[in-house]
Amino acid sequence: MTAVATKPPSSSSGTAIPPRRPSSAPMRFIKSPRFARAMFLPAVLVFWLISNKLIENSWDFDSSVLATPREVWDFMWAEVTRDTVAPKDLYETFGISLYRLGIGFSISMILGTTIGLGMGLSRAVNAFFHDWVMALLAMPALAWALFLSLIFGFDNKGPIIAVVLAGIPFVIVNVREGVRSTPRDLFDMSNAFGVPSNKRTRHVLLPSLYPFLFASARYALSIGWKGLVIIELFGGQDGAGWTVKFWYDAHRLHGVIGYSMFFVIFALVMENAILEPISRRVFRWRPSLNSPDIVEEEMDALYDVEELNRELDANLPTGSTQET
Amino acid sequence: MIAVVTTMTTEVPAPDRVTQEDIEEAARRKELIIRWISRISGYVVVLGLWEWASGAVLEENLLPGPTRVLQTAVELFQDGKVFPAFGASLSRILLGVFLSFIIGSMIGIITQNRWFSGFFKDAITIGLTSPGLIWVLITALVFGNRWFGPILAIILTTFALVSVNVAEGIGSLPKDTLDMARAFKVNLVDRNRHIVIPHLAPYLFTGLRFSFSIGWKVTVLTEIFTASSGIGFELRIAQILFRQDEVLTWILLFFVFALFLEKVVLQAIEDRFFRWRKEIAST
Repeated sequence: MTAVATKPPSSSSGTAIPPRRPSSAPMRFIKSPRFARAMFLPAVLVFWLISNKLIENSWDFDSSVLATPREVWDFMWAEVTRDTVAPKDLYETFGISLYRLGIGFSISMILGTTIGLGMGLSRAVNAFFHDWVMALLAMPALAWALFLSLIFGFDNKGPIIAVVLAGIPFVIVNVREGVRSTPRDLFDMSNAFGVPSNKRTRHVLLPSLYPFLFASARYALSIGWKGLVIIELFGGQDGAGWTVKFWYDAHRLHGVIGYSMFFVIFALVMENAILEPISRRVFRWRPSLNSPDIVEEEMDALYDVEELNRELDANLPTGSTQET
Repeated sequence: MIAVVTTMTTEVPAPDRVTQEDIEEAARRKELIIRWISRISGYVVVLGLWEWASGAVLEENLLPGPTRVLQTAVELFQDGKVFPAFGASLSRILLGVFLSFIIGSMIGIITQNRWFSGFFKDAITIGLTSPGLIWVLITALVFGNRWFGPILAIILTTFALVSVNVAEGIGSLPKDTLDMARAFKVNLVDRNRHIVIPHLAPYLFTGLRFSFSIGWKVTVLTEIFTASSGIGFELRIAQILFRQDEVLTWILLFFVFALFLEKVVLQAIEDRFFRWRKEIAST
């Protein structure tokens, strides 16, 4: 706390800036944030090695339980070159998981968009689903994993349903928010000019929905992936989650860490190489809308009063609105 | 309608003019009725489907219905299993979230420095995106059944949420107020007490609530792998014994309990804390 308060608010605040001491080029380089960022990885490695030593010395550990960075690297390289003792190699494993993720994701997008549209357009539908969607939103993936793995066993069905259940509440909430944020004036105007409803959907509703659909796709993918890994771990016979468990059961820490690294890499690739370019392409014409407010968790009241008033105004009999 | 009549009698002329308020009032009442009917029918339909599906779609042992879950819950309460398990899990959660809160805020504070901000940038990204499962498995392998394995897993999955919030709060500290305080030679303690902490409080609470909501899920997951008490442990036993009704009951009981803590208890504390500052309490 004190560190913050003592630090003067950086520049721009009237006081005279003391002349900066001329610093040499290497010093400036060492002080730059970019260098600091590059230092993070070596720092982690050093910390890793030191804590390995500490743990080994302080307890009676069989040192083979702990993994060194070198072992992890070798493991990852072996996996990439398909040299593995696991029953399925890296590419097959991720292929299986990706297949499940893809199917579950498509189902949750389609179903979620339908329900979200319904909830955004009709308040009765909204009240019907609201509490259950909120409950789903807060439900941990673990619950589905344990529950569905007992029902479906080692099938593809369990993981797919888990992906759907994990992702769908985010899609619903985001699409509903998107429908609510469509510009009402444009709707009214297209009504007044007698624009047919299919054109209205295509040119008014969909363009304002796109950012929200994108946000929900992103969320459904990342949450679905986490849910998928957990259910594969408890009720699977293949797939990424199962393979981590395989290394865990074999007490190979380097296997667990290495496979976790693949998860992180996989998530980064999905985000930066696939979703990011697509979203940039889709929103080229509308750069400011690339990042809408993502509705992650919305547990507050069913309606906010202001919005209710606005909607009421819109729904009032025309005579009285003209009066005001 | 009654409202309309009274306004007509008390106010003098206004023959057949229905005021804007009356129309709004009527619309609002109709709205409320529709909302509650839909809401209740939502509950009836979902619970009914669930009850019907257990037995008709899947065997009752595989998909126990709501009544069966209620029965099991009562049985578990009578066996006296519930409170020890909740206590064990809760103490882990509280310790983990508390430590992650402290560590997270410390990181949030030192990232005000540009160098440290660069240094921790990737750490925070990793902390925000990596699934808790990874940390759970790693700490389980390294530390086995020792008590701090799960705690470490909780800290690693939640610290970044706190850091991000704290950093954001510090970034938006009211500069002019701080400048004024300095100009008037307000001492350090008072400056912190009256400007910095009140300003940071909402951010701290948000961080706390987020880390709690992630923390309890991670805790249950760690207990499945390494604990011999707590909700996760009970879940694991129930799953091994193929007692689907107990699995479902444990998870739902704890789900309700955690939501209660998060949405009711934490929210109440927050509201109480911000009574003097209505614009924050309402958000």
